[in-house]
Amino acid sequence: MDGLNASEQREFQGRMEKKQMKEFMTMYSNLVQRCFDDCVNDFTTKSLHSKEEGCVMKCVDKYLKGSERLGQRFQEQNAAMMQSGQLPGR
Amino acid sequence: MSFLFGGGRPQLSSAEKIAAAETEVEMISDMFNRLSQSCTKKCIPPEYREPDLNKGESVCLDRCVSKFFEVNMKVSEKMQGEAAQKGGAGGGMGGFGM
Repeated sequence: MDGLNASEQREFQGRMEKKQMKEFMTMYSNLVQRCFDDCVNDFTTKSLHSKEEGCVMKCVDKYLKGSERLGQRFQEQNAAMMQSGQLPGR
Repeated sequence: MSFLFGGGRPQLSSAEKIAAAETEVEMISDMFNRLSQSCTKKCIPPEYREPDLNKGESVCLDRCVSKFFEVNMKVSEKMQGEAAQKGGAGGGMGGFGM
């Protein structure tokens, strides 16, 4: 992101913020869908069983923790790659 | 990673520079989303017995990220190779391997 002056940086920042918002909303929707698909399969009742609810809560926790870990590893790999120019296939 | 700003290029306008930076971020972001989707599917079974990642899942995620990057590299190397063979069509691609 070199070569951007102050006002260009500001514009860029603004766009990045919008993008982040959008990504958060996407992540949220995907999460709801995933946890619903995996946890809720019994339609004999109109509201969630406590088991289904428990499953959904664990699903969200697990997913968020997984996402966090992936983010950390991704950053590490990305940084390593940028440094070395090419990752020499460990 | 700014493979778009090689030496000897004409000055880009503000809009072009911002668009280029944005594109770069989008590529990285897209890669992360795909990686997340694939690795979550491959490493986290849909049973959800507990709210934390267990050791197996954690290790799986770590290795998954590493392999994903490696695949990314190899595919880009191969494609650059093919482009070079077909006669310099890939000249402008530079460091496409992110």
